[in-house]
Amino acid sequence: MEITEKMVASTATKLSAEEILEGKVLSVKWEPKLKYAWDNGPAIGRYLAELKNGKIIAKKCDKCHRIMIPPRMFCELCWVPTGEWVYVKDTGIVNTWIVGYVDWKAKRLDIKGGVRPITPGIIEIDGATKGMGILHHLGEVDPWKIHRGMKVKAVWKPPEERTGSITDIKYFKPIK
Amino acid sequence: MALIERYQKTTDIGYWEGQIPMSYIYTVGRAGEKFFREIIAGKLLGAKCDTCKIIYVPPRTYCEKCFARLEDSYVEVGTKGTVHTFTQCYETFDGMKKETPSIVAVIRIDGTNGGLVHWLGEVDFEKVSIGMPVEAAFKPKKDREGSILDIKYFKPVK
Repeated sequence: MEITEKMVASTATKLSAEEILEGKVLSVKWEPKLKYAWDNGPAIGRYLAELKNGKIIAKKCDKCHRIMIPPRMFCELCWVPTGEWVYVKDTGIVNTWIVGYVDWKAKRLDIKGGVRPITPGIIEIDGATKGMGILHHLGEVDPWKIHRGMKVKAVWKPPEERTGSITDIKYFKPIK
Repeated sequence: MALIERYQKTTDIGYWEGQIPMSYIYTVGRAGEKFFREIIAGKLLGAKCDTCKIIYVPPRTYCEKCFARLEDSYVEVGTKGTVHTFTQCYETFDGMKKETPSIVAVIRIDGTNGGLVHWLGEVDFEKVSIGMPVEAAFKPKKDREGSILDIKYFKPVK
């Protein structure tokens, strides 16, 4: 450890972020454009198309009889193609959740300025097999009142605003 | 069964687009700092190892053969050299067709053991040959910003 520190002290030049950003030292900047297109596939494709209609669809495995949400073409437990499509409800229960103080880009939220912490959670969907759920936001609820097993219902965007995306559901809100 | 479900129209196939944000800043380092500051002045710098009789271009902070410190023995090496190897490029970095192909070469700087990768200009591809004497064509002084691109290209010595 001591040797390493000595070596660093004798050869390294410490730079601050300002020195680099203000151009006091020379640097090369580059921003590669990493574009991608992800194929939805038949299962997620139909799932997203049904969301546009305001419905949530799952798929059933004929062997283990699990009703799986999000739907998939292949049962990962039985190693067989899945069977029929099953509509499930847009209600469910909170399986797990977090109260987050940073946004998706890891930027700190202005909590003191009145911004509500984000509360993504896994919602076990009613009609699907226990334990099967989707990740979504929880809304219209005090972040600190969320609890495991809390009953929730999807809040949908108006039909004309839906695009066939998971965000066609705005969030899940608690119900009595 | 599910696996024999088939799309009838290609337009039914959905996809999700995105872009991964990524950027980087690479600092040129101690040797690079000196090298590129000199390029602003229109000069090229090398690092000389007296023991090994090697002049590195671009300069290094230490000798790669004997590990001697070279930071105090930087020397000006002039802007002339010879074509060591060359090729012609028809595509840009991202694989797009170029309107006019460019000639890329390794230029061995005269009197040194090093070289620079750069473009060749003011010359036809057919006229380029290995060993051809070339010199650096710099940008106008006001446009230089301490980059290898402060040299526009290398051109044949008249």
